[in-house]
Order: sequence, then structure tokens, then C-alpha cells
Amino acid sequence: MIDELKELWRFRELLIAMVQRELRVRYKNSFFGFLWSLANPIATTIVMWLVFSKFMDNGVKSYSAYLLAAYLPYLFLQQSILDSAQSVLMALPVVRKTYFPRELLPLTSVIANFIHLLLGFVVFFVFLLIVYIKDPQEFPLQGGVIYLPFLLLVTLVLATGLSLYVSALNTFYEDVKYLVTVGMYLMFFICPVMYFVEQVANSSVNHQGKGFWVFKLYNLNPIATLCIAYRKTLLSPVTVPGRHGEQFAPWPMNWDYVWVTTIFSVFLLITGYAVFNRMKWRFVERP
Amino acid sequence: MSDTVVSVKDLHKEFVISNTAIGSIKTLLVWWKRRSVKRFQVLKGVSFDIKRGECVALVGRNGAGKSTLLSLIAKVYKPTSGTIKVNGRLAPLLELGAGFHPDLSGAENVFFNAMILGLTRKQARERFQEILDFSELGDHVFAPVRSYSSGMIARLGFSVAVHVDAEILIVDEVLAVGDFEFGLKCLQRLKEFREKGGTILLVSHQAETVMTFADRAIWIQHGEVQMDGTPAEVMPVYKLKSESDLGRAQ
Repeated sequence: MIDELKELWRFRELLIAMVQRELRVRYKNSFFGFLWSLANPIATTIVMWLVFSKFMDNGVKSYSAYLLAAYLPYLFLQQSILDSAQSVLMALPVVRKTYFPRELLPLTSVIANFIHLLLGFVVFFVFLLIVYIKDPQEFPLQGGVIYLPFLLLVTLVLATGLSLYVSALNTFYEDVKYLVTVGMYLMFFICPVMYFVEQVANSSVNHQGKGFWVFKLYNLNPIATLCIAYRKTLLSPVTVPGRHGEQFAPWPMNWDYVWVTTIFSVFLLITGYAVFNRMKWRFVERP
Repeated sequence: MSDTVVSVKDLHKEFVISNTAIGSIKTLLVWWKRRSVKRFQVLKGVSFDIKRGECVALVGRNGAGKSTLLSLIAKVYKPTSGTIKVNGRLAPLLELGAGFHPDLSGAENVFFNAMILGLTRKQARERFQEILDFSELGDHVFAPVRSYSSGMIARLGFSVAVHVDAEILIVDEVLAVGDFEFGLKCLQRLKEFREKGGTILLVSHQAETVMTFADRAIWIQHGEVQMDGTPAEVMPVYKLKSESDLGRAQ
């Protein structure tokens, strides 16, 4: 693996050029070009603000900020995994005839999407600034924002690990892409993007039986843990109204689950890279 | 042994030919019991050393394993067993427009090919114009490569390969494609490359090119080295064998 990492380092210039191309190609024939990268997070922010603060007002102040804090990392994971699933197959004509470390292909997809995630957070902070200007009382940002680089790093590691697995497997079995598409779609509902973790903790299904195993199981999902962590560190604790008018006290940030996710992500990255390296020589001999 | 630039030792390459072509999990599960896997030996123990400055031609019939051998040296395939040591920077030109992506423009492909062959982004930008000038494609370079003729692709591919400061050039039957004038230009360029001490490994079916250009010929037959010597030694024997094969077929 050390040799492969050295080889990867030798090709870093190519990786940079590939990421640049990935970002440029996407909006190649458009007038605003790269600015379109900002369109998705801006549109999402506006729609969510409109829907969840005006139409479906559930009493949580600046709910759209809480929503975005979890939605942006979720979107990054989904997009980077789906893009990298196709990355090797799309480049197969080149792969068949030239040598370069094959892992550059999924890595390009992940890094390009990571840049979009960073742009998304820029929009997020601009949105918070607007909230602050409108009403400083409602401003939800808190000091935990210093953990953001760490959380971004864990998310990046998780995305890279998953992408290496998915791109290697999808090159041989194209079903993997469809499985992952469905899986990531379900993740959107399984993870606390649209709702709050307090609602899971206080749900009746969690209180049936012993030991709150539903909640524990729920937190072992690394994507769910990350969604919770982004929300809890970036934004101030909020009381969530329940279905029958009761108020759920904010759940404290639990770093234990974040550590489990971190270890799991690093494990995925190492094993994913090993699996990818085992399989990458057979990409060209694919039936 | 510092002047040995390519060293191939007891090289074997085996391909697995699967009739069921496992491309989805369904076929994998359904055909697991009945899958028929054929192993096909392409190279059966090839060994040779190439010294700095040599121009080696690989000859042999279609399917003898020449292109597989070049792909192995270019690191596109991994050997089943045996070793390949390459000492120096390699620019492989495997087939027409090796590694061009059909949906990208010629210019973009030039840029990426140059980087795959080891240039930095800065170097690639600096030499970009020089490469385009050499290819003589004019404004066509901004059109997608899928709209190119085979001659245009060959021109572009060749132009990139000779502008990346490689020490070893691998050329797989590319010279035969461009028009006469461009062919001469390529040969001229390859001669300059050799005068500067470059090593060339080429596959050609044109006996004339081999005789005049190469100073060593390796005849590959059924995945083995049949004969290794100067073109004057190898080519007559190879020609005789081909003719007798043809005679037997008739």
C-alpha cells in the first residue's frame, strides 16, 4: 500500500488537473459557468426557508438552518458516491490504453464534490449572516463551529472509503450503482435531515423494550451520526416540539458516536483502498 | 547494467475468457454453477533486454502477443508471472489515439495525455502550442475527438508522445496511418529522438520500415520469442515462414 501511495503522490498534478476539469466540464456550455455550483445550495436554502419557516412552521426558530447543516453533508456523500460509481466505467476507453493510478478516477469525483460541499457551507454562512442582520435574537450559530474542519475531514474520509468500494465493485457488477442509489435515497429518511434526533430518542418505538436499543442502533449509522454532529456543533441547542404538543429537551452532543464513526471511516478508507488496489488491474480485462 | 532500459524476464500473461461475461450480480448468481472459464495463455515466458538507444521492432502474426507485450510494458496490464523492469520515462502509444476520450475535444485530450505521460500542468501548458503545431490540425483540435478521422487521431497522439521528453517510446503500428507527408515527418522526428539517445520499441507489419528503421528485430510467435537478432537476420526467416504458412493454407 505504501508503494501505491507513493505512486499516487507522483501523479498529484494529474489529480489536480482532473478535478479542475471535473468542475469545469459540468457547466461547460453555460454562461455563468462555475457560478452554477452555488445555484444548488442557494436554491435549496431559499426553498427550505420558504417551506419550513413559512408553510410548515413547526415552532423551531430558523429551522432551515438546522435542516441545511445536515443536508449539505448528506448531499455530498450521496453525490460523491454516485459520481465515483460511474467514474471508472466512464473513463474505460482511456484506462484501456494508458497507465495512471486508477484510484485517481473515484478520488476526482470525491474531491470535486467536496469543493461543492465547501461552497455549500459558504452559502450556509451567508444565510446565517442574513438571519443575524434580520434578527440578532434568532441567530443560531455557536462556538462549536471550530469543530467544523474536523467533521469535514471525517466526512471526506468516509466518502472516499465508500467511493473506493463502490467504484471498484460497480466496474464489474453494474447492479451496485442501482443498489447504492436506492440505499442513499433511503438514507435521506433514515438520517435526521428532515427531523431532529430528539424525535427519535423520544419516540414510542425507542421506549418499547429495554435499553433504548433503537436509538443506539440509530446512532451507529455513520451518516446519521455525522448529520447529528454537524447540527449539534454548529447550531445552538433547540427544543423540539413533539407530535402531541410536548416539548423535547435538546439532546446533548455525544462525542462517543463521533469517535466510533471516525474509526469506522478510517477502517473503510484503508480496506476500500486495499480492495480497490486488488481489483484495479482487472478493470481493463473486464468482460 | 545501467544501459539496460527495459528488462523483461520470463513474462507470462494469461487472460480469463468467460463465456457468460459476468456483468451483473444476477448473472453471477444464476451462472455461478455453470460458468465456463477458459484460460488463454497469451505470453508463455518471454525474456529480453533492451539497451539504451536501441530501436527494437516486434514482428509476428496477429494474435501472437505483440500488443499484449507492449501493454504489459506500458503497465496497462499486470503480468501473471515474471517481471518487467523499466528504467526511464516511458511514452506508450498503444494503437490509435491511445487513451483519448471520445467526448472531449482534441485540445483537452492533448492536455490530459501529456499529463498522464508525466508532464506537470505548467509544462503541459507551455508545450501545448508546440504539440498542436506539430499535429497540423488547426482549428479541428477544439472539436470532440469522436468526430476525428483515424489519421487525425494518429497525428494528435503521435504529437503528444514525442513532446513529453520520454526516454523510451512505444509505438504500436501508428506510423502506418497518417498520410505520406506526415509519415515522413514522424520518421524524421523519431530519427531525431534516437540521435538524442532515445530508445524505441515498435510493432510494425511493414517489412520495409523494420528493415530500414530498426536495428534489432524480435519475432514473437504463439507467445514466445521465436527469434531475436538484426532485422537482416530475422526478417527473411519470418517472411519465409509466413509464406510457407500461406502455402499450406492454400
